Amino acid sequence: MDLLDRYLEAVKKHLPWERQDDIIAELKANLEAQLEDKEAALGRPLTAAEAEEWLKQFGHPIQAAARYQPQRYLIGPALFPFYWYVMKLAFIWATLIYLVVTVVLLATRTPIQIDVLAILLRLPGGLLTTAAWVTLIFAVIEIAATSCPGKFPALASPSADWSPGALPPLGQQFAGGKKPRSFAQAVAEVIFGFLFLVWWLLVPQHPYLLMGPGAYYLGVSPFQLVSVWLPFYWWVVALSALQLGWRCLDLIRGSWQRVRTAEKTVMSAAGLIPLALVLSVRDHAWITLKRPALDQARYGVAVDAINKGIFAVLVFICAIVVLQLVWEIGRIGVKAYRERTATMH
Amino acid sequence: MTIAENLFENLRLELRRGCLTLAVLAQLRQEHYGYTLRKALAERGLEIDESTLYPLLRRLEAQGLLTSEWREEEKRNKRFYRLSSDGEQMFGQLLDEWRAINKSIDNIL
Repeated sequence: MDLLDRYLEAVKKHLPWERQDDIIAELKANLEAQLEDKEAALGRPLTAAEAEEWLKQFGHPIQAAARYQPQRYLIGPALFPFYWYVMKLAFIWATLIYLVVTVVLLATRTPIQIDVLAILLRLPGGLLTTAAWVTLIFAVIEIAATSCPGKFPALASPSADWSPGALPPLGQQFAGGKKPRSFAQAVAEVIFGFLFLVWWLLVPQHPYLLMGPGAYYLGVSPFQLVSVWLPFYWWVVALSALQLGWRCLDLIRGSWQRVRTAEKTVMSAAGLIPLALVLSVRDHAWITLKRPALDQARYGVAVDAINKGIFAVLVFICAIVVLQLVWEIGRIGVKAYRERTATMH
Repeated sequence: MTIAENLFENLRLELRRGCLTLAVLAQLRQEHYGYTLRKALAERGLEIDESTLYPLLRRLEAQGLLTSEWREEEKRNKRFYRLSSDGEQMFGQLLDEWRAINKSIDNIL
């Protein structure tokens, strides 16, 4: 039967060369015997359409040949959980490193230009490269482990040597991997929060508390701070007072051990407001000359350099706060998802 | 195919996979070539696709559980399989396991 021979020839192409003839001869004998039975039952040869339908049951030649091959994995089930764990860590670290490097490069470039879209569009490429490297390394481990399982027992099953005794004590795993806050720690946080607020409130009257001898120099120097620093200052006061109040409330309620996810999220989000306020200053001029007409020629370059430095610091802080916010929102999302799935089951 | 049907099909295939090996080993206590083995299993109520059965025979032979030989029958060369001595031992162990599982399931039900 021409169609059967054509099918077998197509299957043969995808079989391992050293067993091709043997497998095809056996398959042919089996299929011919089946065909004979079918035709004997019908009392006539199969029509072309019937033969096609019959052969179709055996599957596409590539699939039919693949069933004669051992099961192959790029990364097998024993290794996959470790691969996935490393992949997640690699993604987090790659994103962090990319953002830090981007901020540093932006801050040191002159003139400073921020193309947020370009920065975001470059990230997937970096993550893809990271994923490719992690996959490649694990694929090599899988090949080594499956080719010579006796030689690399630790690679074939990385979890074989683990010991329950090596797990971290329960106290360290409390509340999402962190040790619960002690009472002394909570009291110390309130005291230091209060001291910070008092110190910060005294700064306008006693600038040397913030700038040391620089405060005197600022008074006699040709430079001055622009007005945006005043609302920034009051935002810091408000946020510090809010945080202090929150912590006092925790102490009063006896809930200082609770996880401060909501507090951290609110503080991170609120912390972006004064930063955005300061960053929105026109021409990025946070320090100006008191008498520009007189001093521009002499101190203009110095003012530009100082403002660029301030811009770099602000962008860096902004990036950290955004990352912190994204991290906290992610944690809240994961927690909510887990709770929802737990109630569903 | 709905999600439930798809899930059932996956679970059914998973459940059948081990049973098929046991059935093939049991049937090959007598010599068969691929097609007659399939017919013999079907006559006893166990239908197996050719695309599953023939590669399975190869795998079991490679694992040393079956022996095979090419022989002419009805003017056609065919590869006949039967249980090897290792295969008989393995079949006995698997059968005990299967009976124990069956008994446990009956007890649970």
